[in-house]
Amino acid sequence: MNMMQVMQNVVWAVLLWPCLVSLGVPLECKDEQGSIILCASISKEKLLDRVIQHAELIYRVSEESCTLFEEMFVPFPMRSQRNQAGYTCATKAFPIPGSKSEIQQISDKWLLHSVLILVQSWIEPLVYLQTTLDRYDDAPDTLLKKTKWVSEKLLSLEQGVVVLIRKMLDDDMLTTSYYEQGVAPYALQPEVLESVLRDYTLLSCFKKDAHKMETFLKLLKCRQTDKYSCFLH
Amino acid sequence: MAAPSFLLLFPLGLLSAVRSASLMDPGSMTSSDPSVQAPHLTGCKSREQETFRCWWSPGSFQNLTEPGALQIQYWKKNDLTKEWKECPDYSSSVRNECFFNKNNTVIWIKYCVRLHSESQNKTYDTLCFELQDIVHPDPPVALNWTLLNISRSGLNYDIMASWEPPPSADVSVGWLTLVYEVQYRRRNSSHWKVLEHEFGTQQSIYGLQTGEAYEVRVHCAMRAFNNFGEFSDVIFVHVPEIPNKESTFPVTLVLIFGAVGVAILLMLIIFSQQQRLMVILLPPVPAPKIKGIDPALLKKGKLDELNFILSGPGMGALHSYPPDLYQDVPWVEFIELDADEPEPGEKDNQSSDSQRLLGHNNHHTNHGCFHGLSIPDDDSGRASSYDPELPDQETLMLMAALLSCQPNKVEPCLGNCSHSSTPSLDVLEVPCPGLQAPDLPPEGGERHLVQTQLGGPQSWVNMDFYAQVSDVTPTGGVVLSPGQQVGAPENTPTTKKDKKGKMEGGEEESEEEEERRTNKLKFQLLVVAPEAGGYTTESSGRQMSTPDPSSPGEVYHTFPPPSAESKPHQEAYLPATTLLGDYQSPYILPDSPPDVDFQHSLLLNPPSPQRSPTCSPQPPSKPLPVMPIGYLTPDLLGNLSP
Repeated sequence: MNMMQVMQNVVWAVLLWPCLVSLGVPLECKDEQGSIILCASISKEKLLDRVIQHAELIYRVSEESCTLFEEMFVPFPMRSQRNQAGYTCATKAFPIPGSKSEIQQISDKWLLHSVLILVQSWIEPLVYLQTTLDRYDDAPDTLLKKTKWVSEKLLSLEQGVVVLIRKMLDDDMLTTSYYEQGVAPYALQPEVLESVLRDYTLLSCFKKDAHKMETFLKLLKCRQTDKYSCFLH
Repeated sequence: MAAPSFLLLFPLGLLSAVRSASLMDPGSMTSSDPSVQAPHLTGCKSREQETFRCWWSPGSFQNLTEPGALQIQYWKKNDLTKEWKECPDYSSSVRNECFFNKNNTVIWIKYCVRLHSESQNKTYDTLCFELQDIVHPDPPVALNWTLLNISRSGLNYDIMASWEPPPSADVSVGWLTLVYEVQYRRRNSSHWKVLEHEFGTQQSIYGLQTGEAYEVRVHCAMRAFNNFGEFSDVIFVHVPEIPNKESTFPVTLVLIFGAVGVAILLMLIIFSQQQRLMVILLPPVPAPKIKGIDPALLKKGKLDELNFILSGPGMGALHSYPPDLYQDVPWVEFIELDADEPEPGEKDNQSSDSQRLLGHNNHHTNHGCFHGLSIPDDDSGRASSYDPELPDQETLMLMAALLSCQPNKVEPCLGNCSHSSTPSLDVLEVPCPGLQAPDLPPEGGERHLVQTQLGGPQSWVNMDFYAQVSDVTPTGGVVLSPGQQVGAPENTPTTKKDKKGKMEGGEEESEEEEERRTNKLKFQLLVVAPEAGGYTTESSGRQMSTPDPSSPGEVYHTFPPPSAESKPHQEAYLPATTLLGDYQSPYILPDSPPDVDFQHSLLLNPPSPQRSPTCSPQPPSKPLPVMPIGYLTPDLLGNLSP
């Protein structure tokens, strides 16, 4: 009897072996991060790499856009805005520690959530910035393309971070934000100095926040590979 | 609208724009006196994005050089209080430096640092920045190079330069992402060659020359920032030359082969294009040719074509009659007297030339045919122009003298009557107003063109063959009479003329012509091609008769068709005649309506059938296959005179 049962199990296993194999091995997800919801079986490491790539690109493009805008529209005395104490970036919902040591001590959860909050907070302002830049008379095409690309990539970055949070933190409560075209808060005429400076401030702040996102994600990555060395500087 | 905000921001911006966060020009302040420099901040820098330092300069103010007179005060954006804090750490090793350690360094938060004198309570300079914007990384370490390969010629080689990131930069953690820039130059050169930014830690350098010493250095910066740090130490790259004798050998071989190939190519070109080269170098001597005639035709004996060409519309170009053909033929022979005199002979009839002429003239009373020899060149043109131009020639003068506008019935015979041997004869178109009177046929505005022969070959210069217009018939015909005998035999031709009242058909004339035909006639006959209702142009019809030794001399007079009712002008034109060899060229009959008489009446004659038959075309039934239209036989000449 036992032999018969064993033989039956073996036969069943042999017959069902392809199905087991297919179920066990996670499928490689090769789609873009934007469609990551459909392909949910990507490894954490690959997803994190892709998210970091996105963040790096966004940061680089935002820096280029800021430089372009500065060269094009900002009068010379107003440049190098880093010297001005006047401008302020929008405050975030929660304070982000500034020093490296403090940042290194931030938990993964905080890092990921910070990134997500940053990304979500910039989706709408970037769309607004795009509409204002379109109203400029001689805005270069590259600038418009870059801002458009950034706003698109920001959306896919948000989706990727959501999935990452779900995978790494097992937190499934978050949902992607739906962007709704809102009324532009300011309807000033373009190319007036005030609006120019405001847009310039917007771009600079976004550049800074993109740098933040990139740094956070890289820190996170470091922790995945080698936890101890990353914590201990 | 923008002005007020601009004014507000302008001072602040101007103040801060003078200096940058990371670099400062000493003495770039807007002080008026360049020699006196106020205390200022020279710059703030961070090496690893964790700490940063600030430096200042006391300037030329003497009372502030002592330590402690100036303070660095800073302020962070996220400070709870808005007070300026003192520099946390004045460097002991470096003068006028303020060091901010990790605890006092935050990123992504704005800092403002100012140079302040507490005693004077005066701020000399302010600088605001964020940490990530003032990062200038340390130089990379461990720069080294390895040889990649050497070119075949041994002249060039490639190397791979490698380095390591600065130890201070926490790249592994990801705190900093660096980009590197490699520069190299020749040892004694002053210009550094800059290679593209590299994200990795190694860079390949191509195209270095053996035997040359090179220097290589590298520096790095934060990615997407342009704040490069200091350069690393310079390393020297040198690869000795490899003496390669083989390198010269291929060069000479290539040169030799190249020269041989070029020589072969030239030889091939010369041999293939030999003909053309010969033509270019030694151009052939142009052979004489008749304009408009293919010399091949002359060689091959294609008479028909040649005759067609010569008598065709392009006849006007063929003016150059070979004079040889005509020189031997006295003009006298061209004139055919009456049928009783079959053999005029060459010189025998000189005495009776005038008689002949008169006889001819008598025959042609009705249609004052007269001989007209056309000039080889543009007779028709002159005829068509209808200008009473007198060619400037002595003969013309002579002819003019000979001519007398007597009321003799002279019918001008338009066309070439005899013209074989006189290529240089000119046609004189002399309008004779006297002849024009009411005798004119009812063509409006007619003018009689009296064409006479002028000049001529020397053989017959001494003859008295000049015909003058002795009379003009009422019908418009012009009666020719010899020059010396004025008005003599006017009656004699009448009988003949009556005999030959008509020149219809050509049979009568042909018979007569046959009688008269002798060998002496070598002339051509040009027939003005008559067309219905008008004088023909030169293109209309030409007839050429080659001199036929066997044929009797005949005078063919061509009569241009009368200026018909429709045509106000009468054009007498004499087509050029050519003399061809010894053949008989077929006459080319122009398209002429059957009413030959009508067409071939002379200028002065009304289009009446009264035209002398001699003037009508007589298709020769003899050796001349085609009779010219309106040619005049000698016997017909007698009918001319009234």
